Amino acid sequence: MTRSLAFEVFRYAMIMLAVAVTLIPILWMASMAFKPIPEWQATGAALTWWPKAPTLDNFRFVFGVSNSDLIVALDRTALKPILASFLAAGIGTVIAMTAGTAAAYGLSRFGSGGNLPLALVQLRLFPPMAVMTPVMIMWAFLNMTDTWWGLALVYGIVTLPFAFWLMKTFFDDMPREIEEAALVEGCSRARVFWRITLPMMRAPLASAALFVFILNWSDYLIALLLTTREWVTIPVYMASLSSSMTGQLYGAKAALGLMAAVPPVVLGVLIQKHLVRGLTFGALKQ
Amino acid sequence: MSMIRLENLVKRFGAFTALKTMDLTIADGEFVALLGPSGCGKSTTMNMIAGMETPSEGRILFGDRDMAGVPMGRRGVGFVFQNYAIFTHMTVRQNLSYGLRATRRPADEVVRRTNAMAELLQLTPMLDRPAAGLSVNILQRVAIGRSAIMEPAIFLLDEPLSNVDAAFRAVMRTELKGLQRSFKQTMVYVTHDQLEAMTMADRIAVMDHGVLQQVGTPLQIYNDPANLFVAKFIGSPGMNLLHGRPVDTGGEVAIDLGALGHSLPLAPEQAAAARRAKGDVVFGFRPEQAARVGEGQGMAMPISFVERIGARTILHLGEGAASAKTVFENDAGFEMGRALHFAPHPSAVRLFDAASGAALRGH
Repeated sequence: MTRSLAFEVFRYAMIMLAVAVTLIPILWMASMAFKPIPEWQATGAALTWWPKAPTLDNFRFVFGVSNSDLIVALDRTALKPILASFLAAGIGTVIAMTAGTAAAYGLSRFGSGGNLPLALVQLRLFPPMAVMTPVMIMWAFLNMTDTWWGLALVYGIVTLPFAFWLMKTFFDDMPREIEEAALVEGCSRARVFWRITLPMMRAPLASAALFVFILNWSDYLIALLLTTREWVTIPVYMASLSSSMTGQLYGAKAALGLMAAVPPVVLGVLIQKHLVRGLTFGALKQ
Repeated sequence: MSMIRLENLVKRFGAFTALKTMDLTIADGEFVALLGPSGCGKSTTMNMIAGMETPSEGRILFGDRDMAGVPMGRRGVGFVFQNYAIFTHMTVRQNLSYGLRATRRPADEVVRRTNAMAELLQLTPMLDRPAAGLSVNILQRVAIGRSAIMEPAIFLLDEPLSNVDAAFRAVMRTELKGLQRSFKQTMVYVTHDQLEAMTMADRIAVMDHGVLQQVGTPLQIYNDPANLFVAKFIGSPGMNLLHGRPVDTGGEVAIDLGALGHSLPLAPEQAAAARRAKGDVVFGFRPEQAARVGEGQGMAMPISFVERIGARTILHLGEGAASAKTVFENDAGFEMGRALHFAPHPSAVRLFDAASGAALRGH
């Protein structure tokens, strides 16, 4: 098919626009992360696309080892929030994926828990925020506020529907014959699940887990409500990076933001092969 | 003991009855093909034999043992699926040895038997290749090998050749038959391809709409179809079927085919059958069993289409209710539009009851 030149120009213009909308904010954050104080504080004409005097000072600052001229004393460094984010988002993902996968498998193969899909949709019918006040009260009663496990549990519950629905679709798409073939050879149900089904579902599992992890990792509101001091996560900590003297500490925020972007990107690259390959049960031709 | 007995087997899925009733005994070491169009209940029957589905009614016995409640892993059956169900995250070797490893056989036995099976199926060169990237033909062999390695007394194959290419299918037909001869298992083979059933099976069970239509050797099914469905379904093209009425022509019996005139006098056995007919009959004959005759004899039908397929020429004759096909070994200058004068060999004529569709037999 041959397209007119005008169409091609238009097509690439639209692509570039879409890419620009996505990438320019990220580029701006990356640029700001390496700017010294006068540059990220600058306004108007003094603003530049690239740092004129690149520095790692913003990174040092959030870890409390800055010798810069910022006259701000951080009451804590970014280390603990980073740990909190990893623990809460990671364990939350494990909870959601474990429960979601088990429930999806049961429903897909045995039809057990027939009202589960609807029940799990209800979890997402309203914004999680709507029920966070009662959750806060319960968590306070259980002494789980401001703990990483309390937050992880909420993350696991809130993202469970996504894990369930994604895995349900994947299990439904997997031909039953593969499991039946193993059963007929004398393999037990449990062994079929661990040795055949799960290994064959590596790609879907990885994709679903990444999706759930990103949801948890980027949460701000739930963490803001359920953590106060000890176990604040990166987004909450980031919001607190300001001072009465200098206002928002944009450079430090950008540096932290850039670091926070690393885990999802690394995970994404690691499982990219699976994401691209998607769901191909190679041998099957219908 | 690996005789299979199906007694009054019924399978319903909700309001839908997949298998209305099925009684069939498959002898030890016999190769039986379940043949029928899609949705005839043949795969359902097979799945119940394997234990994947539970019968709604009736019993399945292996020898004298009722299989009700016996899980599929304990039935001692091998199953080859239409889509192979290869474990794509494993190598060919891991696939082949899967059953042996699942049942915890000693390691040296696993290695020995896996190598032997690979040798038999010519899979040795790709034993350690991942199964994911292999061609359909090879996957098909792996699937057969994975089941055969357990040396099941009963081997169930669900349309195993429907996805492979035509040339390979011909090879596999011969190999499967050879495999069965060497292992002497009882083999049940589900297919919608009559060529596979005819060439491999000791007996064929023809099914349609959840009902067993006829069981017999390939030649019995071909020569003496039990009813109109089997007559039409078996053979390529299927049997010619023309509506008519038996008439007595001075001691002999012929069939009045309406506008097509009278058939040749029937052979004694068919004549006896025709005399028993209570009403109209269907006059059937195989396209291969008609000969050209002179003008004024036999039937005359205009040639509506000539299909030349090399070794044979298929003529499409007439149209509507008065249509037939004939097959000739050579192309004797057939022309579209010209009338063909032909008559079926009297001994090749088969009669069916027009109302019930059942074959009318003289004895």
